[in-house]
Amino acid sequence: MSTTRAKPKKPTLKVTPSSRVMNVSTSGVLRVNHSSTYARSINASVSRKSFSLAADSKILDKSSVQTPKHTVQVFDENGKDVTPQPLYQPDPAAVMSKHSKIFASDTSGGTMSDFYSTAYQTTTNASFAGPFTRSVFGSSTVSRGSQSTMESMNEEIEDPSSKRDISISLSDVQVRREEVKELIKEEMLDDVVDRYLIESETLWLLHMPAVSVSVDSEEAESVKERNNLYMELCKNRMGNDKYVERSMQTFNGAPKTKDVQSEAITMVDAATTATTWDMYDSFRSAGLGEAALSPDTDKASVPEIVSNHRLDPTRAPERTMSVISTTSIASASSSRIEMEPFVVPSEDEPDPELVLQSEKFQQDLFVMERIILENIYQPKLAAYRQLPTLEDPDSVPKVVPTVVSRREESSLDEESTLTPALERLWSFSCELTSGHNVSSMAWNKRNPDLLAVGYGQFDFKDQKSGLICCWSLKNPTWPERVFTCESGVTTLDFSASNASQLAVGMHDGSIATYNVESREKTPVIDSSDCAHKHTSPVWQVRWIDHERGASGEDKGETLISVSADGRISKWFLRKGLDCIDKEKKSEALISRQAPGLCFDFHPTDSNIYLAGTEEGHIHKCSCSYNEQFLETYIAHKGPLYRITWSPFCSDVFLSCSSDWTIQLWRQDLFTPVLGFTSTQSAVYDVMWSPKWATVFGAVNEGRVEIWDLGASILDPTIVSLASPGVKLTSLLFATETDCILVGDSDGQVCVYQLKNLTVGEGTQVAALEDIIGSTLASQL
Amino acid sequence: MSAEVEETLKRIQTHKGVIGTIVVNAEGNTTLITSTKVDYAGLLHQLTMKARSTVRDLDPQNDLTFLRIRSKKHEIMVAPDKEYLLIVIQNPSE
Repeated sequence: MSTTRAKPKKPTLKVTPSSRVMNVSTSGVLRVNHSSTYARSINASVSRKSFSLAADSKILDKSSVQTPKHTVQVFDENGKDVTPQPLYQPDPAAVMSKHSKIFASDTSGGTMSDFYSTAYQTTTNASFAGPFTRSVFGSSTVSRGSQSTMESMNEEIEDPSSKRDISISLSDVQVRREEVKELIKEEMLDDVVDRYLIESETLWLLHMPAVSVSVDSEEAESVKERNNLYMELCKNRMGNDKYVERSMQTFNGAPKTKDVQSEAITMVDAATTATTWDMYDSFRSAGLGEAALSPDTDKASVPEIVSNHRLDPTRAPERTMSVISTTSIASASSSRIEMEPFVVPSEDEPDPELVLQSEKFQQDLFVMERIILENIYQPKLAAYRQLPTLEDPDSVPKVVPTVVSRREESSLDEESTLTPALERLWSFSCELTSGHNVSSMAWNKRNPDLLAVGYGQFDFKDQKSGLICCWSLKNPTWPERVFTCESGVTTLDFSASNASQLAVGMHDGSIATYNVESREKTPVIDSSDCAHKHTSPVWQVRWIDHERGASGEDKGETLISVSADGRISKWFLRKGLDCIDKEKKSEALISRQAPGLCFDFHPTDSNIYLAGTEEGHIHKCSCSYNEQFLETYIAHKGPLYRITWSPFCSDVFLSCSSDWTIQLWRQDLFTPVLGFTSTQSAVYDVMWSPKWATVFGAVNEGRVEIWDLGASILDPTIVSLASPGVKLTSLLFATETDCILVGDSDGQVCVYQLKNLTVGEGTQVAALEDIIGSTLASQL
Repeated sequence: MSAEVEETLKRIQTHKGVIGTIVVNAEGNTTLITSTKVDYAGLLHQLTMKARSTVRDLDPQNDLTFLRIRSKKHEIMVAPDKEYLLIVIQNPSE
């Protein structure tokens, strides 16, 4: 019966029938579109044979049309007519020819059925064929109908190619169908076979819609003529040499494999961390202007400069790392040197030399040195500042040899905890100062850590050039400032109002002021040009703050100096340094032209001052009186080296001289209240302690003595001997702490701490007065 | 190098306990002055960057001025700058 395959897939036929030819003849009659389209799609080539067949068949059409008997009919085993209806309507002419051909050649009829089935299956097209096919489906009457439609299709003009196509395909199909059918008959007669015929979708491969022209139209004639011409052509085609069947073979070029290798694509990972400061910097620099950023980006593109490129110092590591990885440049150091000519203005890698010379580097070195020294001197400085000393936890503990000695030490310690002593902390010295004699020391009034030391010989022989060093507590090994002077420095004093101004008196009589803040080595002001300058060594200079001056313009600080030529001069700044003689020692009274050695202004009343002379006299003078002394105190037998008012008791003062004595005076008494002697050497310096009224220190040639009048008025409480060969020349108490500074003739300034000096509470003013009172009482 | 800088540097190197002084450039790869063989430069550079990053992260207007590392044997002191690092290693308990 029908083949097993509902949808035969034969190569020739495979393409599903496609085009519906649909002949537009709108007769409404059911048209069966036979495989004309079907075949057309498959075979585009025109074959003569088929054409002739078609032509022949056309003739036969009419005759055979009437024979419904030749209609292909499919019967299943049960005798049921299951003739599948054709799925499309071919053109009338085409259909007719096809049919005829089929009828003519077909014997089994199975082909047709198959065709139909295929046609059906492949038709789903919604175009013309659509409605027809569906309605056609499954009805046996359709076949008859198809015939009738075929009859009615007369005037259709159809694409002749369709006829040919169909015929060829039909012939092919026929052959196969027959073979299959025979097999079935013999073998499986008794089998019940289910056949399912499914309409498949329609795939249009080629749709060439037919154009029909009505007979009545104007073009009818031309179209007819054209058709006739074409038919003539087809007829003549047979033996015509113009038409040759020919086949072609396409050349398949020999394949060739070709490899291309591209350059390796280097992948680079770039990463950056967006930190808070990174963003802050970007915002800031963006805000500052494009100019700063654009050279950076330009530089980034220039490979040579890239290796040393520093866009942003804080981000430099990441950037430079990534940049170096993307460009292959020679090592940084070598390229840097070559980079010099390519330097782009802003933000290039600075020359290493420049780095080392920069200000910042100097500053850093300075700070670093201080820190290193702090590490070294930390215990000493802590002691100075009266802080608890921290023990280094990692330092190797000193091995104590035996238990016995430890006990001894501890007992000694106990003793030493009781006796007051001077503990040496450190000394200010360096090779610059060695060999110079320390003549004077002064603390800076504003910065208590800054010390000015003047170096110069006292004697008129051995005069070297003088030296002034400003030392800081933070660096005991090197002075902060060094000033060299032509002649030895004998005295110096810091100004209180202008803390960086240092007044210096020298052995040749000149006075100069230095500005210690600047790094200049020359004095700000020099008195050498002054007409009234001192002609002899200036032994003391002092800045005195006058609360009310004699005349209106004397308010403020003035510089007072005393010199060996017998004058005490007040200096003020005009175009140079000019002075007014405050005091002229006239020949009249007690004094002759006595060279003055020292003076001191009254701490509260700046009009009154004391002056000491080489003769050993102390004169009390007043600023308002230029001609005469107010008082004279005579006790010393040698030149007075120092006079100093007590900072606590306003009418008590001390004086020391080369006659081995220190005298304590009360200003209303013309004889000293107390005298102190300890050794037979000249006392060079004496100073009241700034902390206790009863304590003062004295320096003579070989020792430092600390006297505590509350403890003893006969002997010094603490005595410290100088190193052999060195003379101690000056003394200075530290203001805030219990330390004293002692200068010697070797250029060293030693810092000692007063240990275990128990004076009692308070400033002991009352104690001092008691002592004085009791002494006086005992004298009377 | 200016005389003062040289002097200061020499003084630093002769202070008690100072083992070495190193000045490195900003990237940490070239040493400009070195008086010790041990390579502190690269390592300290990274640490300084990290320290500076930390300080600035807490407050972007702040900046690192000095870094001191106290270890059992030495103390390493680093003065950072955007162009160089000044490193001094000292053994203070000597």
